[in-house]
Amino acid sequence: MGLLDLFRRDRAPRAKRRERVLFDDEFQRKLEMLALVSRRVFAGRLRAERRSKKKGSGIEFADHRDYVAGDDFRSVDWNVYQRFGKLLVRLYEEEEDLSIYLIVDCSSSMGFGDKKKFDQARRLCAALAYVGLANLDRVTIVGVNESLMSRMPTTRGKGRIFKVFEFLSQLEPAGTTDLEAALKTFVAQHKRRGLAVLFSDLYDPAGFEAGINVLRFNKFEPYVVELVDPAEARPSLKGDVRIYDCETGEERELTITDGMLDKMQRAVSDYRAGIERFCAQKQVPYFPADVDTPFDELVLRVFRRGGFLR
Amino acid sequence: MVLSGLPLAQLLMIAGGAASVTVLLYILKLRRRAVPVPFARIWDTAFRDQKATELFSKLRRLLSLLFQLALLALLIFALGDPKPKQSLLEGRHLVVLVDGSASMKAIDVKPSRIEAAKAEVKKLVRGLGSADRALIVQMGALPSPLSTMSSDVTELDPAIELLSASDTRADLDRGLSFAIDSLRGLPKAEIVVVSDGVLGDVTTIASHLDLGNTSLKFMPIGKSGTNVAISEFSVRRYPLDKSRSEVMLEVANTNDRPAQVELTLLGDGAIIDVSRFALGPNERLPRYYQDLAGASRTLEAKIRFADGRADDLPADDHAYALMPERHRARVLVISKGNTYLEAALLLDEYLDVTTVLPGKPLPSEHFDVAILDGVADALPETVAAALYLNPPEGGVPLKLGARLSDFGFDTWDKKSPILRFLALGDVQVADGRALTPSPSDRVIGASDQGPILVTGARAGHPFVALGFDPRNSDWVLRVAWPLFVLNTINAFVEEDTSYVSSYRTGEVWRVPAPSSADSATVTDPRGAQHVVPVKEGRAVYLGEEAGFYKLSAGSGVDAVSSEFAANLSDLAESRITPQAELSLGQKKAGPVAIGAPGSKHELWVYLLAIVLGLSLIEWITYHRRVTV
Repeated sequence: MGLLDLFRRDRAPRAKRRERVLFDDEFQRKLEMLALVSRRVFAGRLRAERRSKKKGSGIEFADHRDYVAGDDFRSVDWNVYQRFGKLLVRLYEEEEDLSIYLIVDCSSSMGFGDKKKFDQARRLCAALAYVGLANLDRVTIVGVNESLMSRMPTTRGKGRIFKVFEFLSQLEPAGTTDLEAALKTFVAQHKRRGLAVLFSDLYDPAGFEAGINVLRFNKFEPYVVELVDPAEARPSLKGDVRIYDCETGEERELTITDGMLDKMQRAVSDYRAGIERFCAQKQVPYFPADVDTPFDELVLRVFRRGGFLR
Repeated sequence: MVLSGLPLAQLLMIAGGAASVTVLLYILKLRRRAVPVPFARIWDTAFRDQKATELFSKLRRLLSLLFQLALLALLIFALGDPKPKQSLLEGRHLVVLVDGSASMKAIDVKPSRIEAAKAEVKKLVRGLGSADRALIVQMGALPSPLSTMSSDVTELDPAIELLSASDTRADLDRGLSFAIDSLRGLPKAEIVVVSDGVLGDVTTIASHLDLGNTSLKFMPIGKSGTNVAISEFSVRRYPLDKSRSEVMLEVANTNDRPAQVELTLLGDGAIIDVSRFALGPNERLPRYYQDLAGASRTLEAKIRFADGRADDLPADDHAYALMPERHRARVLVISKGNTYLEAALLLDEYLDVTTVLPGKPLPSEHFDVAILDGVADALPETVAAALYLNPPEGGVPLKLGARLSDFGFDTWDKKSPILRFLALGDVQVADGRALTPSPSDRVIGASDQGPILVTGARAGHPFVALGFDPRNSDWVLRVAWPLFVLNTINAFVEEDTSYVSSYRTGEVWRVPAPSSADSATVTDPRGAQHVVPVKEGRAVYLGEEAGFYKLSAGSGVDAVSSEFAANLSDLAESRITPQAELSLGQKKAGPVAIGAPGSKHELWVYLLAIVLGLSLIEWITYHRRVTV
């Protein structure tokens, strides 16, 4: 049983109990109060609660234009006509939905250890999906490894959250990481631009930068949530060992001492600092998600403080 | 340096095999365990400079292997038990004679003298030099070696633990003889006597024992000796009233001060007499208890100070005795009827009398005694003995002589058990026949006209023959008549003659046992069983413990079981004042010099210590990742 089974209503009683505990009404109400923040305005498809570039029948005033025959008389701005004697029509901002893409890294490294990173990624993904669905946004979830592994069809409305749970519970970590290749496929298949939230440990042998750049260059608004397991920075290893990469199988013979472990810890810190620096330079919002931090705290406090949610 | 353990060739073989195994294990150890990591590129970053130290790492591994091989070499060298050559030649040879006598049970030193002796001997053994060898011997009634002549503490320590004190006297003469024999031909021979010095008269030992170059050392044990003792204890039944008994015991005060003591007698486990009296300094006081009733089998005596204090030697405060078991004698009377005879037989309730008329078939059961009154029927083998009264011509086992009239006992054997307590001088007999004894027969009563009372044996069956009918005399009207009948039966049954109420510990006992048995089982007071040989109807056993013993012999219907008692009964052992010196005539034993513990310089111990030290260093460096 996957950890996401905890969210499923129609499963065993135990799963129901855990669902109530981890994704209880209180937390659900808080999620409904939240919305994902998009700094850019994307063209929507259906009427919703998001500001769009279109002028239409919203309630937010946008502009005036000259009256032309056939316009609705009710939209004539009579105050302007009184002052300037010109017939101008009020234009309002059209509110449309927003496309939110939640991209979950499903490579083997995400399942390393006790699948802590993968489970945390799935929990966060479910929470953000609920936020999007509650705001009538179009939510799409994809799992990636060296390619686009699986995809949940775009869905809308919070009643669909159980579809999300179902999809996430079926994901399993496998394969290698190639964010660039996988995300190129992703952008090719999803023409409607929007928010793209990447949940990954960013252990990409080809470099994480290429993958993020694919999203940037294709006019998605990328958000990076890096899953961090502190135990990986200082593993409990000593002596002569032959390490091998859990994704690629590359081997190295090493003799590990306390000094070496200190170096390893520094290397991991440097790697993460590199990710943060890159994201800052490219103005890509970056959120480290520690597996030991409760996911509701991450959603309600960390993401809000970082401006990801409002 | 010589190897006193495994020989060099064998050591080399072991070294070769063990080194091969070590190297093989080391090669196996070098196979690293595979560990998955989530992202190897980060590890590359962290360990990019490790290749520069790879050579040093290999060298460290080689050092670790050499380290292991060095440990192995040290261990194998230790197996060889290396010793300096000189020390092998110049070691002392000691026979440690530890007194195991009763006096060593004294508790003037806690917990007891024997335990104190064991502690001292342990110190002595731990202080032996590397080339010294010792033999531990317990010196009791017989010397008992408890170890071999060894320098190995692990062999000597268990032997010391086996030392114990028994209820016997230590025989120093035998102990020294054994020690001299053990040390014959060995250099630097020493005899160490560990004792309280209560060894009896030892002054004459030097006259027949030649110690030669063997030096004699004495290690005194004990510090005081306050003691009262039961030094003698015996009991017997009265011949004519076997329900009553008399007890003789002797108590002794072995101190220089008077003592008030309380003496308790127990019959069959119940108190039958308690008396308090004073004993002067070094006084021995015999006491008799007459007409003692209340005990049918066991009798015990206990002594202690009247104020309830215990003395220093509990072993001699308790004495044991067993009264002879009363047998119901089976008597066959062949008579036409004899009131006086029947009346005499009624006096002893322990007689089982069967009366048969003359000429009638005799019963086939076993009878202890047959009394033939005026008849001389042939007796079967089942009749053990016979009393003939006025035997007819031709039937008696001896010929009849001349007819006698108006006669009496002019001479009789007063020491004969048949005639003891009898006054026969004025017995008047109307008529009778003189008896003609065989050369092996004994005349125990005679008139001036000829023998009238003869005893003897035919085909292993004893008999007594009386040459007249007692009814033709006034004997039957006297007390002497029933006494004569009962004495005769008692003499045939032999209940009292060889009975020993208690044996003395430290001596070889000869306990009555069925002569048909080859061996018997003796159960000592602690419940331990010993199989002992039976020679000429006696079980032979050297007992060393006071108390009640059981003896069983034979099997099936022939199985016989009996009991007997044993006591220390040795005043010399009860005098427990310890002696500071030991002198055999002119030869005086020297003091024992105990070396410092650990002065036994065994090289292998140090080698093992080095191995342990190095292993500890290796363990620390391994965990600090210095040698891996």
